[in-house]
Amino acid sequence: MSAVASPARQAASGVRARTLNRIVIYGLLALFAIFYLMPLFVMLVTSFKTMDEIQNGNMLSLPHAPTFAPWIKAWSEVCSGLTCVGMKGYFWNSIKMVVPAVLISTLLGALNGYVLTKWRFRGHTLVFAMMLFACFIPFQSVLLPMATILGSLGRFGVTLQNATGFNFGLGNSTVNLVFVHVVYGLGFTTLFFRNYYEAFPTELVKAAQVDGASFFQIFRRIMLPNSLPIIVVTVIYQFTNIWNDFLFASAYAGSGDVMPMTVALNNVVNTSTGVVEYNVNMAAAMIAALPTLIVYVVAGRYFVRGLMAGAVKG
Amino acid sequence: MAFLEIDGLKKRFGNVEILKGINVELEKGGFLVLVGPSGCGKSTLLNTIAGLEQITEGEIRVDGRAINDLHPSKRDIAMVFQSYALYPNMTVAGNIAFGMEMRGVPAAERQAAIDKVAKVLQIGHLLNRKPSQLSGGQRQRVAMGRALVRDPKLFLFDEPLSNLDAKLRVDMRIEIKRLHATTGTTIVYVTHDQIEAMTLATKIAVMRDGEVQQFGTPAEIYNNPTNIFVADFMGSPAMNLIPAKIDGNGNGLSVVLDREARQPIVLPIPGAPTGLAAFKDKSVIFGVRPEALTDPEGAERNGSNIATADCHIEVVEPAGSDTFAVTNLGGKGVVARLRADARIQPGTSTPLAFNLSKAVFFDPATEKRIL
Amino acid sequence: MSTVAETQIKLTPEHDARPGASVRSRLQDLLPKIVLAPSFAATIVFVYGFILWTIYLSFTNSKTFPSYAITGPRAYQRLWRWTFESDPPSSWYTSITNMGIFGFLYIGICLALGLFLAILLDQKIRGEGVLRPIYLYPMALSFIVTGVAWKWFLDPGLGLEQTLHQWGWTSFHFDWIKNKDFVIYTVVIAGVWQASGFVMAMFLAGLRGIDGEIMKAAQIDGASAFQLYRRIVIPLLRPVFLSAFIVLAHLAIKSYDLVVALTSGGPGGSAWLPSNFMYEFTFKRNEMAVGSASAVIMLMTITAIIVPYLYSELREKSR
Repeated sequence: MSAVASPARQAASGVRARTLNRIVIYGLLALFAIFYLMPLFVMLVTSFKTMDEIQNGNMLSLPHAPTFAPWIKAWSEVCSGLTCVGMKGYFWNSIKMVVPAVLISTLLGALNGYVLTKWRFRGHTLVFAMMLFACFIPFQSVLLPMATILGSLGRFGVTLQNATGFNFGLGNSTVNLVFVHVVYGLGFTTLFFRNYYEAFPTELVKAAQVDGASFFQIFRRIMLPNSLPIIVVTVIYQFTNIWNDFLFASAYAGSGDVMPMTVALNNVVNTSTGVVEYNVNMAAAMIAALPTLIVYVVAGRYFVRGLMAGAVKG
Repeated sequence: MAFLEIDGLKKRFGNVEILKGINVELEKGGFLVLVGPSGCGKSTLLNTIAGLEQITEGEIRVDGRAINDLHPSKRDIAMVFQSYALYPNMTVAGNIAFGMEMRGVPAAERQAAIDKVAKVLQIGHLLNRKPSQLSGGQRQRVAMGRALVRDPKLFLFDEPLSNLDAKLRVDMRIEIKRLHATTGTTIVYVTHDQIEAMTLATKIAVMRDGEVQQFGTPAEIYNNPTNIFVADFMGSPAMNLIPAKIDGNGNGLSVVLDREARQPIVLPIPGAPTGLAAFKDKSVIFGVRPEALTDPEGAERNGSNIATADCHIEVVEPAGSDTFAVTNLGGKGVVARLRADARIQPGTSTPLAFNLSKAVFFDPATEKRIL
Repeated sequence: MSTVAETQIKLTPEHDARPGASVRSRLQDLLPKIVLAPSFAATIVFVYGFILWTIYLSFTNSKTFPSYAITGPRAYQRLWRWTFESDPPSSWYTSITNMGIFGFLYIGICLALGLFLAILLDQKIRGEGVLRPIYLYPMALSFIVTGVAWKWFLDPGLGLEQTLHQWGWTSFHFDWIKNKDFVIYTVVIAGVWQASGFVMAMFLAGLRGIDGEIMKAAQIDGASAFQLYRRIVIPLLRPVFLSAFIVLAHLAIKSYDLVVALTSGGPGGSAWLPSNFMYEFTFKRNEMAVGSASAVIMLMTITAIIVPYLYSELREKSR
């Protein structure tokens, strides 16, 4: 029977199979969307609930009486250990660390990529390979020596402070973290720009040389204006990495009012004095997550596109 | 003294010699084409003239002054690149003016120069566009504009037409030729296209493996190739290079062309080159261009050295302006160029006229021309 | 490829007459190297120098503070002994066993899920533009935030278990996060949640990069959708698998923060990974030499994975 099924019936069963197929596909995709959204959703609704509602209500239900109080408390009052001044100070610590670290490491990466592709010298592959390998090392293997060096620099800063009245930023933990993140971010930024500039037409550089442009003029007038996609990738990557870093932050600025956001959040959540205020914790976590989330929502599309175009492909 | 002199130029990368002692000269206002297959070193040679690559040995002089140690921008040259190399972030006007900007030319002067060049190349309406908004031909014009505006001593072109489609390529070729004629600039031009070389050049250097095989006017290169490589590379369809034998009887030499399953063709060579006598009873390569092998009616009437022989035609290719016929001589397919209306059928025999005054002979061992 | 300063430039008389110009042009030639030098020097000192320093420390008997008298491979001998101390498990035994479980599951599930989602999303889906960022956003979060969120979600008294109880499924029991035998699997769940969307994006880009004509040819050859993926598409995605594997392996070995934030180390340190072991021994238990030795072992492991990869990548590119 099936061997001689009429074309019409075949077509009908084909349509039915295809519809079923689509339903299964969309169903699976929706299911996974729920999986990915759930923790964020729970975090968000919890941060707007009262403690009463949290203890008696359902985790997934929307807040009955949404309140901003947990957010306000998280921003300006919550306790990290024994200090109860809210997250705001730590938030600005992170900003003060992230902005210079991102800018410096991106600029250096761009220059390195430019040299490694357009001004090659003997051994350029080895230099690049050595910088690239640095991306992959577990930072535990440099953690201790860096702590020692930063400690010595801090003591030297105190000496300078006594001698000149100015410590040149030595011993300042924000400066320390900027330095650390620039050094250990160089491999990534160089990788991104090198791969991008590798595909950048060398004839443009030659043309500019014939036109009389110098090394830096070519960089500023020809390379940089045409690097927007990779600048976006690098800035987003560095911003998320540095903002989210916990290891260096806890090792070199792990306590006191110099902590960056991630360390402070971890302390807030693990502060066990009194009743645990889950709503405030969730609000604090949301505050810590917002900058990178916003960056992803605004520019994530360019990030994935740019990353695929150059970086990950190898 | 010539305007551009390249003297014993060598270029090595590590142990690999890319250019093996180049000697070339060009008079002021001349048009030198460097032609050869890819990897022959022609682009490297151009880059060394531009200063984009350093040379290992030798000297490059322009107008009597050695320039080989100068930075590209100090050499008073302009260059048009294969990909045009237009700065994508700048407008057409910005592209054209960039070189002047780098030299600190005042804005008013730059504007005047841009306007002048835009008029010559008819790109005035494009000045405020970005390169991405231009067609291939327009980009090509802008690239030339960027070179022209500098009014340099020497123009360098690196395969400027190879990214254009066939028709546009012919148009731009004529344009470049016209530009050269009206401005009288000195040009060095790299191409792998032998038609571009023939049509544009006042001097051609045919290159292979980092060496100049032959340097001369287009006519010299075409009519008197010094070796098999040049003979084969220049001309389309290529010169027929037929393995043959030299035979000598009492009153002169003749060339013997073997054929499959037929009597060999024996053609007398009245004005044979003197060197050919030494090849009596030996093998040579007999070179004859397709246009020197034609139907008897189409052959030059007053050519003194016409010999006719019946040939078996294997393939006929009517090309519109001509008809090409392929026969087999000396074990190779040989192309003859007939009039468009020649009545000829594949699989038949037809008389073909060999113009032996245009024929050349090569030594199969050295591949050099027998003179 | 223009190789600057490959050859010694012969000085012409003109240059001899103006020595200033030659110094300037030499400086111009050196400029690219001068620009690159600080970054390279920083890499040499702060990466390779510090690695040597850490290796050195691992051969001393440093406790709270570094001591620089070499006392031999005692730290390694202790780690080696602990490697087999399974009952009761030593911290090191727990750490490396956890690393094995976590590394295997995390990488395996991320790759499988990432590929699966990418294939689903590649079926001309309406709303792809909405779904993709939903799958991807966890990558933007720090491990600390991820840990806080999942800690809440998996908490038996407040999270999923409680919710299902309220919905009437009172027999549902899920306390892995408090169970020393299962706590590592919660780290896997949170880790997969965070990274699988990114792996999906990598595979999706790989799928989009496949030449459409190859797909058409395979369809004309009569391949079913399943065969098409199994025989043509997935083999073509090999480079993406490799890149994703490298990214994940490197994330796995570095996963320190997630364990801290999600489990605070787990009951009795049962969720430790080697990175936690290193941190705890170095900064909390005053066993700097042992901490350094564990860091060296982590480095060796990742080196064994990365160096062959980098070697083949860079060699391929220079060809």
